[in-house]
Amino acid sequence: MKRVLFVVLFVVGVLFALSTVSGLANRGVYDSIVIDFREDLLPGQLDQALGAIAQQFKVQPQLNSIFSQADHLYILPGDAHTLKALRRSALKQSTESISPNYIYQAFEVPNDPEYGKQWNMRSINVESAWDETHGNGVTVAVIDTGISQVPDLNESKLVAGYDFVNDREDATDDNGHGTHVAGTIAQSTNNSFGVAGIAYEATLMPLKVLSQSGGGTVADIAEAVRYAADHGAGVINLSLGGGGDADVLREAIDYAYSKGVVIVAAAGNSSDSSAAFPARYPNVISVAALGPSGAKAPYSNFGAGVDISAPGGFMGEDENPLGGILQNTIDPETGESVFRAFQGTSMAAPHVAGVAALVKAVGIEEPEAIAAVLKQSARKIPDDDLNHYGAGQLDAAAAVKLALKGQITVRDFFRWLQQNGYLNLRFWIDGGVVALPPKLAMVLGSYLLAFLLRNYLPWFSFSLSSGLVMGSTGLFFLKGFYIFDLPHYPFRLMGSSIPELGSAIQGSAALHPVFASVLIPFGLVALFLGHRSLKWFAVGATLGVAACLAISAVIDPTMMWLGNGAIARLFLGVNALLCLGLATLAAKAAYNSEVGRA
Amino acid sequence: MTTLEGTVKKSSMGSGTWMLTAVDGKNYEIHKGAPAELLVNGQKVRVTGAIRHDVMTMAMIGPVFEVHSFEVMS
Repeated sequence: MKRVLFVVLFVVGVLFALSTVSGLANRGVYDSIVIDFREDLLPGQLDQALGAIAQQFKVQPQLNSIFSQADHLYILPGDAHTLKALRRSALKQSTESISPNYIYQAFEVPNDPEYGKQWNMRSINVESAWDETHGNGVTVAVIDTGISQVPDLNESKLVAGYDFVNDREDATDDNGHGTHVAGTIAQSTNNSFGVAGIAYEATLMPLKVLSQSGGGTVADIAEAVRYAADHGAGVINLSLGGGGDADVLREAIDYAYSKGVVIVAAAGNSSDSSAAFPARYPNVISVAALGPSGAKAPYSNFGAGVDISAPGGFMGEDENPLGGILQNTIDPETGESVFRAFQGTSMAAPHVAGVAALVKAVGIEEPEAIAAVLKQSARKIPDDDLNHYGAGQLDAAAAVKLALKGQITVRDFFRWLQQNGYLNLRFWIDGGVVALPPKLAMVLGSYLLAFLLRNYLPWFSFSLSSGLVMGSTGLFFLKGFYIFDLPHYPFRLMGSSIPELGSAIQGSAALHPVFASVLIPFGLVALFLGHRSLKWFAVGATLGVAACLAISAVIDPTMMWLGNGAIARLFLGVNALLCLGLATLAAKAAYNSEVGRA
Repeated sequence: MTTLEGTVKKSSMGSGTWMLTAVDGKNYEIHKGAPAELLVNGQKVRVTGAIRHDVMTMAMIGPVFEVHSFEVMS
């Protein structure tokens, strides 16, 4: 019965995974066929074969390129039908292979029609970063002139903000600057309209501190920084600066930083050799601007306080819009939607804020860690004596890749697989994904506990054994099982023990306090104690959980919300003891009911 | 109170703003509320006013100068 249950669960999991992804059904499109003739064919034999194809299929095979002559690589138009006929024909003898000429597409080039004008997106390498994340789940506060939801922000997510200039909840833009900055961060992308944004699945929080003329007070800016920190922003963009050191703003920034918010600010546009306030505060990532050539834009501040550089555009004397940063914004005169190129460190900062959101979205939480990732992954500029570039030029793809190091993703496995030639086109098993010794200790520990209760337990019971395994380690080897193009979480779920289930879907190693406690064993015992064989599963699972929690308490007590210190150890230890007590009581009760029945 | 001499210019930083390039070459951003007659591209002026240290702007081209009075120079 249980065996059937497990098999059914497994099959349901796999089928569910299969049904949610079109990956296997959609194996590629082609409208031509590539024939690789054997290289030992004599010219005459080759001509004869080509002639036969021309006669049979009424098409003339062409060399794929001028380099194909030596390889005898020919292309001819055709579909699945042609492919089948070719493979069945006598010609097959003369070939090394006959295959579909699949059309490959570069990943993640958005369909926004004006994307081609966004040199800045390519210069930060954002397309490869999009293979991993679009910034979903991160809120970026844009402390600026407000945000108007122009047509190309239609699909972008906005939360409620505040207008500190006019002291009201509606933070609509009346200048055009804030909407433009917001567009660089999260312009609606792949919507067949307008242009793209960097972290286009992130959420924007509009905070208006600059008036229609583009200026605002440090008091309002400081309040907006605190507001952002208190209302769930993960990243703050400050495309503003000037004035002097103001305690109220510095304290607000330190407050936001202490709450885990990444703060990015523009270095300033006065060509000075140090960053303006607030960019120069220690807890702020200060961004210098690059022109289309990748060199520092002439207007950009540099030197002291500059942490990194990013595209800000340079339009020159003739104000050539192609050199600027193009986004959708409003015309302040009319309030209507326009696509306009701006330049300035104001435009550079949101590039960094957007990439910070991407880095945060793949799991780096602390602002110091995010700053470190951004700086380490930046393209270094040699001989930058004046610190024009800070740590270097922003590189979104390198930043996201660096952020993912140490965190194993499905995509990493694919990459590893391809690089190591372990390629199986459907599935792949990674034996090294789970640290084996703790798992073995948990299984052995659960059996050791069962041994202590041996007088009450039926040995060699499938029910008890499966309980011990599910409670202690789960079918952990399944965590290393992957099917290409499918989500991995079904395998994480199936490969998790009961205490690990609470964090299996998100793939976190931290234990969830509800699942990693006596609660589920208690529920199992309460449910199944009266059942003839399932009660042994409940007892086994309770012992297994006890072993898992005890081992975790000793070697790796990382828990959600409770950290990995004494509190987590105490929690796990107490629950392990409770499980052991519960298992003892349940085993005795189950044993007595068997004896009573006998 | 500070008096500056220089040329009024339109700056294209960010969404655009007005600035004063002083005779020593230093740029000042003209604070909002300046009279419209002052804001003429290329106009040479003498302005009297004060630097606002409590104001930040999106243009960030230099100190923010609040104009109290001005005269056009020939």
